[in-house]
Amino acid sequence: MRSLRRFFRRLGSWVETQRAEERLQAEIEEHLALLTAENLGAGLPPAEARRQALLQFGGVEAMKQSYREQRGLPLLDALAQDARYALRRLRMAPAFTAATVLTLALGIGATTAIFTLVHAVLLQSLPVADPAALYRLGRESRCCYTAGYSQEKEFSLVSYDLYRFLRDNTHGFAELAAFPAIEPLFGVRRAGTAEAAQSYPGEFVSGNYFRAFGITAYAGRALIPGDDRPGAPPVAVMSYRLWREAYAGDPSVVGSAFLLDGKPFTVVGVTPPGFFSETLRSTPPDFYLPLNTEPFVEADADLNKYDTHWLNLIGRILPGLAPAAVEAEMRVRLKQWLQAHWNEMSPNDRIRFPEQTLYLVPGGAGITSMRERYEHWLKILMAVTGFVLLIVCANVANLMLVRSLERRRQTALSMALGAQLSRVLRAPLMESVLLSLGGGAAGLAIALAGTRLILNFTFPAVPGLGGVPIDAAPSMPVLWFAFLISLATGVAFGVAPAVMAARVDPIEALRGSGRATARMGGGPRKTLVVLQAALSLVLLSASGLLTAALQKLQNQDLGFELDRRIVIKMNPRLAGYHTAQLPVLYRRIREALAAVPGVASVAICFYSPLTGGGSGSGVWVAGAPPPGPRDRINSSWDRVTAGYFDVIGTPVLEGRGLTNEDTAESRKVAVISEAFARKFFRKQDPIGQHFGRRPELSHEFEVVGVVKDARYREEDLEQPIGPYYFLPEAQAEYERTDLGSLFLKDIVIVSRPGTAVAPAQLRRAMASVDPNLPLVSIHSLREQVSEQFRQQRLIARLTSLFGILSLVLASIGLYGVTAYNASRRSGEMGVRMALGANRGDVVRLVLRGAFGLILGRVAVGAPVDVRGGAISGESIVRHQSV
Amino acid sequence: MRGSTDVRQGTLALMVLKTLEVLGPQHGYGIARRIEQISGDLLTLNQGTLYPVLLKLEQEGAIASEWGASEKNRKARFYRLTRAGRKQLRDETHGWEQTAAIMGRFFTVKAEDLK
Repeated sequence: MRSLRRFFRRLGSWVETQRAEERLQAEIEEHLALLTAENLGAGLPPAEARRQALLQFGGVEAMKQSYREQRGLPLLDALAQDARYALRRLRMAPAFTAATVLTLALGIGATTAIFTLVHAVLLQSLPVADPAALYRLGRESRCCYTAGYSQEKEFSLVSYDLYRFLRDNTHGFAELAAFPAIEPLFGVRRAGTAEAAQSYPGEFVSGNYFRAFGITAYAGRALIPGDDRPGAPPVAVMSYRLWREAYAGDPSVVGSAFLLDGKPFTVVGVTPPGFFSETLRSTPPDFYLPLNTEPFVEADADLNKYDTHWLNLIGRILPGLAPAAVEAEMRVRLKQWLQAHWNEMSPNDRIRFPEQTLYLVPGGAGITSMRERYEHWLKILMAVTGFVLLIVCANVANLMLVRSLERRRQTALSMALGAQLSRVLRAPLMESVLLSLGGGAAGLAIALAGTRLILNFTFPAVPGLGGVPIDAAPSMPVLWFAFLISLATGVAFGVAPAVMAARVDPIEALRGSGRATARMGGGPRKTLVVLQAALSLVLLSASGLLTAALQKLQNQDLGFELDRRIVIKMNPRLAGYHTAQLPVLYRRIREALAAVPGVASVAICFYSPLTGGGSGSGVWVAGAPPPGPRDRINSSWDRVTAGYFDVIGTPVLEGRGLTNEDTAESRKVAVISEAFARKFFRKQDPIGQHFGRRPELSHEFEVVGVVKDARYREEDLEQPIGPYYFLPEAQAEYERTDLGSLFLKDIVIVSRPGTAVAPAQLRRAMASVDPNLPLVSIHSLREQVSEQFRQQRLIARLTSLFGILSLVLASIGLYGVTAYNASRRSGEMGVRMALGANRGDVVRLVLRGAFGLILGRVAVGAPVDVRGGAISGESIVRHQSV
Repeated sequence: MRGSTDVRQGTLALMVLKTLEVLGPQHGYGIARRIEQISGDLLTLNQGTLYPVLLKLEQEGAIASEWGASEKNRKARFYRLTRAGRKQLRDETHGWEQTAAIMGRFFTVKAEDLK
């Protein structure tokens, strides 16, 4: 306690050195005056009295020194002195300082930018109360629906009925919340206003959702279990972002009615800022609705289907309980629930019953689909930036070594004059730490810009919607990371020069300075240059591999044409269309667009190729034996208008495409892909065969044509193309159901060769059909496809950028070492030339050293490159689809 | 000088505190005089060494100082004991007495006493 107080006093007096010095001087003077006066009183002559007084007082300067040492903090003083000295030296070499700080800033900035993303995507927990107590069902995050009474590997999605059964019968949870894996878009309009409906993402959540996460409303109230009951008045909670951005934080929003897809909801509260639901995603929901309102909003509701599994579960485990015990209890409940539905189970479900199980995993990070998707890429990038940082360190270390060699004479002199070894060691260390901290500060700015750039590139902002909830501004852990990285680099490249400086033999250095031959020193510098060049070539070869892999992906045969194709995305559901009106709407759209000058033909489909999604179904072939429990009978499918294959440019290989002859009255037909034919009809001729989407409806569709395989799904870009079938829009059962798949979303247009179709013309044509029909976007099919390679392109570009950067750094390093060696050997050169060597000999001498380095780099680097290339190549092949 | 002794580390501070307790606020010269008077010839003291000790005590909060006028109406810096200083003096006096008592007993003990 006493020593602590003393420390702070010392710290204080360290600041006010000047005043304390004056005070001490005054006290000494006073003391001496009193002593002198006393001696005078004793009868001594004035001069002797003063001399005696000085003797009695003792050595004034020695006392002052000990006083000073006690007063301030000598170590801090010395450090400050070192820092001032280092700053002065750095100011004297502005080019060196600027180059070093910039180099460091690039290295530290790149690493910090990637770490910001790593932290946000891979490390951070949800901004909720006590995330460590949250547990999630399912080891992998799955999407979006699965039907039946068995799931592969694990039960990770559940139906509402199963959710209620688990919630009510598992005792280990304080709360068990449920929410669907998909996030619907709603057309939203404030009731009583004339504003046009805007589309915002929403999420259905169980009534205890906010309680499970420990989230209280920012304004109004959160949802409560009472809201989530059949027949309860429909209420909603709005996101803080939407409340702020669209309604300027208007308090009257809470309590007022909003129309979601035309259905009235009362907004009862606003989420707290920073809460982005349980999933990190590019479009966080703006509305939270009780699960029981799902049938109220969605015509094809899933809530009351026992065997449609679409809900994710996250629960808060009771304090003190082992998650494994809760997991075991849930497994028992799952089996009980399945047994209760034994009669509805298919034979295959019954066969697979014994292996049905489930897993609980830590859920503090929520649904980690984004983590699973980006983890590998982020790790690659982190490794790449780590390489860049290593190269930067090597480069700066080299520059520092050269500097310390230039300082040898001075170091030798100060050591000869008795400087403390620690001070001699500290000088270069202080310089490098200052440089790296400067580089770190500049690097933070670069990191901020870099993170923004990457985020914008990966998650382009959609006007009106909240972007991905990742803040580019560095958070506390990121700041710490940058600071520690800077410090570590500073020490890393400062230690070698410091040690070199300390090893100087003063006499040798003083005598030999200014003279040098090839034999002297230079080992560490050359090693660093070789290392640098090797590292940068590893990066370059990795970037080359990534770029080549990307090229291969992009140039693969997609099975459709990109030229002259335009895709218009629309959302007739938002405009309030009923299914019965759709055939007329589609016909009018096709007519209006076909009349636009330059348009050759038009078709409408549910999903155009690589649009980011698709739908799937089971397939039962008529006359084929029923599928076994392990058979995969899924196929993707699409609903398209007549003439679609000509418009999209997919060749019909056998039979015919879909035409205007396929009407609601004619026999129901389907066109299948080659992969479909191979998978379901094997060696048989598929034309004239029948299949259906339910076991009892295996005669539903007759196959009339086979088309070339085309890549529609973006999930598995380098896997072989999966099976696909196409149904004619005209044969859709508009009167029977209200399926979402009836609302076709994508209009594909092919223009005449040599003509350009302006988007404005297309908009005008669409407005002539219905001015209220929301158009989501208009862009070329080429853009839509290249969108799918966004991440791969970003990674390849970043790696190339880093590779080139590191090569430039390595070249600078090689240049620096060569130039330095040449300049140091100028004396030797002079002697050689005086003895008869000509210019050519001298140039050869210098170049021999440089090429020696290059050869060394090849010898060292080649195996490293091959290995590094192999590693990155493997990871590319393995994870291209991720 | 025979019989005189250097000031042991730490004891000078205690002497300063005791002096201030007995005499009340005092400037550096006064403290030095008083210490010399009491110890007589037994203690040689470079009066200057007092100032680092005064600084240390002030940093620890045992004493405080302020400018005042000396007897001859000169500007002088006066030191006075603080409450913490009083407590420190009490504690250390106690400690010293105990140490002195123990050491005294050790020095007076005879071989037959231990049997």
